[in-house]
Amino acid sequence: MLEAVHLNKSYASLPAVQDLSFTLRPGQVLGCLGPNGSGKSTTVKMLTGLLEPSRGVVQFDGQNIQNDLASYRKRLGYVPEEAHLYPYLSGWEYLEMVGCLRGMNRAEMFAKIEALFELFSLRTARHASIGTYSKGMRQRVLLIAAIMHNPEILIFDEPLSGLDVTSALIFKNLVQALGRAGKLVFYCSHVLEVVEKVCTDVLILRKGAVIAHDSVANVGKILGSSLENTFLHLVDDTDTMRVADDIIGVMRAA
Amino acid sequence: MSLLPQALERRWERRLERPFWRLVQLFVERIFRGGGDSDTEGLDVGIGLVLMLLAMPGGFVSVLLFDKYGSLLQWLRGLGNVDTLVIAFPDEYFFIVLSMTVTGAVAVWRWDAIFPDRRDYMNLAHLPVSARTIFLANLMAVLFLVALVAVDVNGASCVLFPMIASFSQGTLPFFVKFGMVHAAGVLLSSVFAFFAVFSLLGLMMAVLPPGALKRLSMYARGMVVVYLVGLLSTSFAIPELLGKAKTPPPVWTFFLPSCWFVSWCQMLRGRANPAMTELARLCVPGIFLIVLVAVGTYAIGYRRHFMRIAEISEGGTAAQGPRSWNLGALERYLLPTPFLRGCFRFAGKTLLRSESHRLVLTGVGGLALVLASQALMNAFQGASSWRQAALTPDALSIPFVATFLLVVGLRIVFEIPVEIRANWIFQLMLDPDGQQSEGLARRLILTAVLPWVVAVTFISYLLIEGAMIALLHTIVVLTWTVLLANILLTRFHKLPFTCTLPVFKQHSIVIVISFCFGYLLYAVSTPEFESSALLQPVRLLGLVPIALVAWYIPRYLGKNTIEIERKLVFEESAVRTVEGLRLSE
Repeated sequence: MLEAVHLNKSYASLPAVQDLSFTLRPGQVLGCLGPNGSGKSTTVKMLTGLLEPSRGVVQFDGQNIQNDLASYRKRLGYVPEEAHLYPYLSGWEYLEMVGCLRGMNRAEMFAKIEALFELFSLRTARHASIGTYSKGMRQRVLLIAAIMHNPEILIFDEPLSGLDVTSALIFKNLVQALGRAGKLVFYCSHVLEVVEKVCTDVLILRKGAVIAHDSVANVGKILGSSLENTFLHLVDDTDTMRVADDIIGVMRAA
Repeated sequence: MSLLPQALERRWERRLERPFWRLVQLFVERIFRGGGDSDTEGLDVGIGLVLMLLAMPGGFVSVLLFDKYGSLLQWLRGLGNVDTLVIAFPDEYFFIVLSMTVTGAVAVWRWDAIFPDRRDYMNLAHLPVSARTIFLANLMAVLFLVALVAVDVNGASCVLFPMIASFSQGTLPFFVKFGMVHAAGVLLSSVFAFFAVFSLLGLMMAVLPPGALKRLSMYARGMVVVYLVGLLSTSFAIPELLGKAKTPPPVWTFFLPSCWFVSWCQMLRGRANPAMTELARLCVPGIFLIVLVAVGTYAIGYRRHFMRIAEISEGGTAAQGPRSWNLGALERYLLPTPFLRGCFRFAGKTLLRSESHRLVLTGVGGLALVLASQALMNAFQGASSWRQAALTPDALSIPFVATFLLVVGLRIVFEIPVEIRANWIFQLMLDPDGQQSEGLARRLILTAVLPWVVAVTFISYLLIEGAMIALLHTIVVLTWTVLLANILLTRFHKLPFTCTLPVFKQHSIVIVISFCFGYLLYAVSTPEFESSALLQPVRLLGLVPIALVAWYIPRYLGKNTIEIERKLVFEESAVRTVEGLRLSE
C-alpha cells in the first residue's frame, strides 16, 4: 500500500503542494487531474522519491520511502513526462542499461526486452539510435523501461504523449490489466476521457491542494455529469467558450 | 596468445554487468557523443575520427622537425657537435603548449558533457542507483577521458619526437631518457590543462546559481579558448625569453604553466638555468593542487546542481521579456523584403544565442586577436614613433587579419546547422525559387564585421595619421571586406544554419589551400602594397583593377548557374562521380 500523508512542498516559500493525503491500494488505478501549476508533477516527484517533501511523508507498506530509497525504487516503474533519452544509444542498449542498473538477471532481461519490443512494435527499430526515433517510439521505450522488471508500483506521468492510436489503445488496456493484476497504479494526465476510462479512482488538484478524491463513478455522480464537466466545474474558472470566441476574433482582426 | 584478449573481453563484459561499470560506460559515451539538452545526436563525427584528429598535430609537427635534427642535414649545413638537449628546448616548449592547447580545447568542447545533466537525472535518478554511485561513475569516466585524451594527443610525439631528436646522437640510452622526459612533460601538461578547465567549470557550478551558470559559462568558455590560442602563440617567443631569464623568474612565467613544465623537463635533462629550476618546483604541486580543486569543486557542484535538478526544474526561472530592436527606416532600407527581415532576425539571434556557433566564432575571434596583437607588437619593433609604426605593413594588416578571419569564420559558421529538425518551418513557408539567400548572408556578415572594424580603423588612423590616410585606409579595408564576402558567398543558396552539414567533396582540399593563399593575398600582400601607396595615394589606384576583377568573377559565376543551382537547399548532397546525361528527358 502506498500512502501520501499530509504532503507539503514549497519552492522558495511558494507552496506547490499543500496537505496532500491519499492511499493507493493494490489493484487501484488512481488518476491525478489538475490544470498546469496544480502540483501534479511535484506530487509525482515526491512519490518517486526524486523530491523530498517539505513536510509529511510518503509511505510504502508503512515505511517512509526516504529511509530506503534504493529498495523502494526497485519496486517502482516510472514513466516521466518528458522523454529525455540518450540519443546516441539504441533502444535495445538503453533498455539493457536500465535492466542492468535495476539488477535484473541478464537472460531474463534479454528475453523480456525482445518480447516487449515485439509487442510494442519496435522490433525493427531496436538497434537504431534513439536520436532517430519519433516521439511515440521514445515514449514506448520509456514504457518498456518502466514495466520490464515487473514492478509493484507504477507511476505514469502523461504516458500517452505522442503514442499512435493502436499503441494508445494497447496502453489503456494495459493500465486496466495492471490494476486487475494487483499493481498500484498512479496515473497523471490531462486527457480526461482516458482517466475516466482507465482509472478506478480520481484525485483532482487545484493550486496544490486536493479538491476532490473519490471513485470515478462517485465524482461524476456528485454533479450528475461527465468527468470533463465535473473537472471544469471544480477546477477551471475559465469560460472556455468565450476564450474560443475571442481567439477567432483575434484571428479575424486586420 | 589469442586467448588473452578473449579473456579480457569476457572479464570486461562481466564487469559491465555491475551497475557501476555500466554507468561508467554510459558516461564515457555521453562525454564523447552527447551533452546539453538536445534530444538529437548533434555533431557526431565518431570517436575514432575525433581521436585520430587529436593525434594528428603532434605527429605532423614531429615529422616536420626531421629537417632540424637529421644528422646528415646538420652535417650538410656545417653544424657539428650540436647539443640536442639545447636545440630541442624550443620544440619541447612547443609540444607542451600544443598538448595543453589541444587537451584544454577538448575540455572546452565537451564542457556540457563533463558533468551529469538533466537528462542523466531524468533517466537515472528514479532507478535503484545511489547518487554516490552516479557521482563516482561520472568521476571515473572523466578520469578515463583525461587519460585517453592525454595519451592520444601526445602518443605520436612521444614516439616520433625522441626518435627524430636522437638521430644525431644515435644511442639507445639517450633515446630512452629523452623520450621518458618528453612523455612525462607532455602527459602531465595535458592532465594539468584538462583539470584546469574542469576546475573552472566546477568552481562556477559550486558558486553560481543555475541561471547565472548557464549565462556565464559561454563567456568562461570563450575566455578559455582565447587563453589557449594565446598560449599556443607564446611558443614563438617564450623559449628565448625563458632561456635568458634570471632568478627570481619574471612574474609572467608564473601565469604560464607551460613554463613550469618545460622548466621541469630541462631540469630533468640537466639543462635548466636557475630561473627554470625555480619554476620547475611548481610543476608537481601545481598538478596535485589543480586535481584537488577540480575534484573538490566537482563534488560541491554535483551536490548543488545535479542533486537539486528536480527542484530547479519545478521552481523555474523568470526569463526577461524579449527585447525588440525597431530600426525603422534603416531596417526597411537594408532589409527590404519580408524574407530578408524574417531570416535576418532568425540568423542574428542564432549567432548570438546558439552555444556551438558562438564557440566557433569565439575561437576565430581569439585567433584574430592573437594574430592582430602579434602584428601590433611587430609594428612597434624598430619604429621610433606611433606615426611611423602605424604605416608599417604589420600595423596596416591588423584590420585585414581581423576581417579575413571573421568573414571566413562566419561563412564556416553558416554551414553548421542548428536543430536541423526545426527547419521544416522554412521548408514549408519559403518558395525555393528566387530567394535572396546570398544577399541575406552578405548582410549578416557585413553587419557583424564592418561597423566596428570601420569605426576602430578610421578613428585610430584619424588620431595618428590624419583624415586623409584614415579615409584611404578605411576605404581599402571596407572594399576588401565587401569583396571577400562576395567571393565567399558565390553560389550560396542556403538559409544560414538550416542546411545539413556539407559532405566532403573532391574540391574541399582545394578550398582549404585557396583559403591559405587568399589569406596571404588579403592580409599580407595588400597591407604591404598599402604601406608604400598611402604616402603616394595615386598608387592606390593600382588596386582598382584587382577590385573590379574580384567583384566581377562572383557575379559572372552567379549568373552562369543553372536553374536548379539557384534553388534554396536544405540538404547537402554528395557530388556524384558519374552524372547521367538523361538524354531521354
